[in-house]
Amino acid sequence: MLSLPNLLTRLPAGVAQGIVWGVMALGVYITFRLLDVADLSVDGTFATGGAVAVMLMLSGAPGWAALLAAAAVGVACGLCTGLLHTKLGIPAILAGILTQFALYSINLRIMGKSNQTASVKKFGLFWETKGRGFLLSSLYIPQAILVGLLLTALVIAALYWYFGTEQGSALRATGANPHMSRALGINVGNMKLIGLALSNGLVALSGALMTQFQGTADVNMGRGAIVIGLAAIVIGEVLCDVCFRKGANFAVRLAFVVLGGVVYYLVMVLILWLRLDPNDLKLFTALIVALFLAVPHLRAQRRESAVRRRTAGKEA
Amino acid sequence: MKKLICIALALALCLSLTACGGGNRKKTYQVGICQLTQHPALDAATKGFREALEEAMPGQITFDEKNANGDIATCATIVNGFVSGSCDLILANATPALQAASSATQTIPILGTSITEYGVALDIANFSGTVGGNVSGTSDLAPLDQQAAMFAELLPAAQTIGILYCSGEPNSKYQADVVKAELEKAGRTVRIYTFADSNDVVAVTGQACGENDALYIPTDNTAAECTEAITNIAEPAGVPIICGEEGICAGCGIATLSISYYELGRTTGAMAARILKGEAKIAEMPIEYYQNPVKKYNPALCQAHGITPPAGYEAIG
Repeated sequence: MLSLPNLLTRLPAGVAQGIVWGVMALGVYITFRLLDVADLSVDGTFATGGAVAVMLMLSGAPGWAALLAAAAVGVACGLCTGLLHTKLGIPAILAGILTQFALYSINLRIMGKSNQTASVKKFGLFWETKGRGFLLSSLYIPQAILVGLLLTALVIAALYWYFGTEQGSALRATGANPHMSRALGINVGNMKLIGLALSNGLVALSGALMTQFQGTADVNMGRGAIVIGLAAIVIGEVLCDVCFRKGANFAVRLAFVVLGGVVYYLVMVLILWLRLDPNDLKLFTALIVALFLAVPHLRAQRRESAVRRRTAGKEA
Repeated sequence: MKKLICIALALALCLSLTACGGGNRKKTYQVGICQLTQHPALDAATKGFREALEEAMPGQITFDEKNANGDIATCATIVNGFVSGSCDLILANATPALQAASSATQTIPILGTSITEYGVALDIANFSGTVGGNVSGTSDLAPLDQQAAMFAELLPAAQTIGILYCSGEPNSKYQADVVKAELEKAGRTVRIYTFADSNDVVAVTGQACGENDALYIPTDNTAAECTEAITNIAEPAGVPIICGEEGICAGCGIATLSISYYELGRTTGAMAARILKGEAKIAEMPIEYYQNPVKKYNPALCQAHGITPPAGYEAIG
């Protein structure tokens, strides 16, 4: 028995969760799309962000400071991956896996055990406690959506500004064509380092937000985060292309990445509502991501073979 | 020079071996404890085990306590370490720890605790109550029929009941199936909701709360770690939860049929003492249960849902 009102009451929580994962997707966007590097350390940094945030809150730090500290630690994690890659010559994908693997132990060290809980009932919310409490919580969904939107707007504005500066442009150029960038005198290694640090900082921030949202951090919370991030990116890009063709502004593209995260969680709510087995969820996600990543490639191939056929026809 | 160091090291190694041998003659025992993860129930069981064994055999036991932090692969690593370090007894706290231990050794005695159903955990058909071989222990199974009966006592109006647990835990599935059958016998509609890991908890709990009048959560380790996330969804939705154990109930439930994991650990410790002293053979020891489960309620959440527990319920303090 499927009831529509039930689905509607469930949607806001999905939106809130999607926005939080959207921040994480922005981080993945920097490495995956702008730098053209697949950075797998994010599975670890997401949990690290959560771990740092929960421990700081438990030791009495205000909620906003916990978020900033989590982001700072995330930047350090990204630097680790970056140094492994650029200074020690380890392939990017492996450097990310190494960092992620090591972070599992570090996260346990940070929390002292596999999970830690900080209750919103004890700490209160930001605006009730003169700025000390949680910024968002699954107990107060509408407020969580509002805060989430404000935060993402801030992050997008900052990214938009940064990628318009000389250094930001150099970073984008590095991703687009590393050889040309080097020829133009850009320090490609440093650009990658900055990109990875920035990306992991955002991912850790998202992990910290998620911890405040659900009140718990545990060492497994980042498992598969990269796939959710990629799903948000591909969904967001498709939606963006549908709405704006190819001509969307960079800030709009970033906003659509966050929207992709929201859509991903709405689909998840829908799947649960349709009574599909939630155990198959991860398989569906992987299939969707694979499909969307494959489409541009297959399209290009078809165009190429069509061109070849045409030229072959002319010669005959 | 290198050779000298080598010889010195080899000598030191030999000496440490004889030191171990000497220790055995003085009857000291090495007990390895492998605990799946940290939550109040498992911590209490380990504490009870250590204290009871220490009291029974003062000064004769060296404990090697390791925690797998929720990672099943780590359980196997820890247990293999115990086996190659030739432990005298292994305490496996929670089902995955027991599964890892029983596949790592056929000789070293293994006692389980916080295991719900040994037949399910070790895949034994027609389980008789005694595992045999080198495995025995205690079960944390609180009578499931009595737990199902609590719905009639506390929530007589709840028609549809959702059961929420982690799909990765076979013991939770076992409890869910038994409780489902009991509740359906009582004429209620039951639906099962599972989550794969803590990332799905919010969405799945929300779905369960949207479709049911009340929820039941068995003694599930992942749920025990995520009670805060669960209660943040269930409380505003006005959906009360009855739980399989006290730790989960204190976090997100209104009531539970509570067994004391500390006492369960103590019972296991007493079993360990009998084995190490040679008073009993592990192959012949039946699984022991907690004898006097107590009905408990969570005052804060009962009040939030406007439920007054009848006489005979103790408040969780």
